[in-house]
Amino acid sequence: MKAFDLVIAKDAAHAVTLLAEHGPSARVLAGGTDLLVELKSASRVPRVVLDISRAAELKGIELTDQGLRIGALVTHTELMRFPLIRDLFPALVDAAHSIGAVQTRNLGTLGGNLVTCVPSMDSGPTLVALDALVTITGPGGRRQLPLSDFFAGPRKSMLEPEDLLLDIVIPKENLGKPADFQKFGLRKGQALALVNAAASLWVDWERDVCVAPRIALGAVAPTVIRARAAEAYLEGRAITPEALAEAGRIAVAEARPISDFRASADYRRDLIAVLTRRALANAYARATAKRDGEKQ
Amino acid sequence: MTDVTAVTMKLNGVTRTASAVPPETTLLALLRNQFNLTGAKLGCDVGDCGACTVIVDGNAVNACLMLAAQADGSDVLTIEGLATLERLHPLQKAFEDNASLQCGFCGPGVILSAKALLDENPDPTQQEIRDALSGNLCRCTGYTKMIEAVQVAARALRAKPDA
Ligand SMILES: Cc1cc2nc3c(=O)[nH]c(=O)nc-3n(C[C@H](O)[C@H](O)[C@H](O)COP(=O)(O)OP(=O)(O)OC[C@H]3O[C@@H](n4cnc5c(N)ncnc54)[C@H](O)[C@@H]3O)c2cc1C
Ligand code: FES
Ligand code: FES
Repeated sequence: MKAFDLVIAKDAAHAVTLLAEHGPSARVLAGGTDLLVELKSASRVPRVVLDISRAAELKGIELTDQGLRIGALVTHTELMRFPLIRDLFPALVDAAHSIGAVQTRNLGTLGGNLVTCVPSMDSGPTLVALDALVTITGPGGRRQLPLSDFFAGPRKSMLEPEDLLLDIVIPKENLGKPADFQKFGLRKGQALALVNAAASLWVDWERDVCVAPRIALGAVAPTVIRARAAEAYLEGRAITPEALAEAGRIAVAEARPISDFRASADYRRDLIAVLTRRALANAYARATAKRDGEKQ
Repeated sequence: MTDVTAVTMKLNGVTRTASAVPPETTLLALLRNQFNLTGAKLGCDVGDCGACTVIVDGNAVNACLMLAAQADGSDVLTIEGLATLERLHPLQKAFEDNASLQCGFCGPGVILSAKALLDENPDPTQQEIRDALSGNLCRCTGYTKMIEAVQVAARALRAKPDA
């Protein structure tokens, strides 16, 4: 790696001050599993690398008035092990588990994964399907925006160079919303997604119809996307195998997959239909299991 | 801001300090070049192969993807810290008895990944062992004998946790 200066932020406020001071000549370092790979092959490295990994406010998972707050520095392993996450959102556990291998999950953070804005990121779809918000702090103070708006393009987020991603919030009304994550890679471990998909839904059991369905897809467009037409098709509709398959077909038309060395666009289109259907079916199965659990 | 920093860590149970570490030094480079612990290998240098696996504060990590400065104040275990002069660690013994390695390049990383697993989960299923080793690439063996050795070591450790 080419030489850089390393500055260690004590806490979030210190990090913001340091970022304001160094501006675009600085890069933030969290778990380093993406940044260090990038810097090792880069012909030019930033003058300053700002290590935020010791900032306590960016760690931890907790329930707040707003919902479930997950600090940006929470690692994929911590997410997988956290009792509240395992309880409320098994889909988030599956998504975290699908990332790289143990060593990568022990270092890599949720915030780092989202900020990379890599279209195949595995943390994005489930959180988008749960209407998650991100909290950003910068010179102008704090602001929040929907995660789906945070992805500006491939490898481009809405963060300004002076901004820090603080946390990810799953809104209160979605706590425990049945959801599922599906990933198709070329191997079970250490493989990026050819396509990944997440779905969440509530069920109106009186009428046995789908309420507030969400479908999010990764690796099929410049950013993680929502399949809004497929969602609209399912809203208020009875959940049958045919309806879920049709939602999968509609989602295909909303994606813009490319061909690359991992898979052709046609193959990705087939995967979108299948993974969308499976994610919806599993979310529905989780909803059913939850209802049956509550009845007892 | 500094050109060099001091890094202090508990390394295989002993507190060690490296005084002049350039910021871009990885933990792997520090271990191999400054502390002369060459058990952790430099394979891919980008997190794919696991040959550089060490245990930091109980977690298996790729030392090639961590800056030395990020390990300041941590407890680091490398393969050199596993055996005593008298005897091998049960994992090392099981790998030897079972002829689980061929060229051995992946070995230190595989054994440390297995150690981190058994520390947390003394009775893993075969699938859990596979999952724990999925970040350690082996070009020689096909993994079967490694998985068997981890099962043997797990049994030995359950019978005698202090072995
Ligand atoms: C071998 C290997 C396998 C992988 N497999 C997968 C996989 O299967 N699926 C997947 O999705 N990803 C995978 N990744 C990518 C990577 O591990 C994840 O994206 C990881 O979560 C990144 O987090 P990090 O903390 O390591 O980020 P870092 O490398 O520290 O940072 C990544 C980027 O985000 C910025 N950043 C980080 N945190 C913040 C913050 N709080 N505020 C502002 N900016 C910030 C950094 O400046 C940098 O640009 C893999 C990586 C490796 C090396
Ligand atoms: S050398 Fe670190 S993972 Fe390959
Ligand atoms: S024994 Fe040769 S790489 Fe594993």
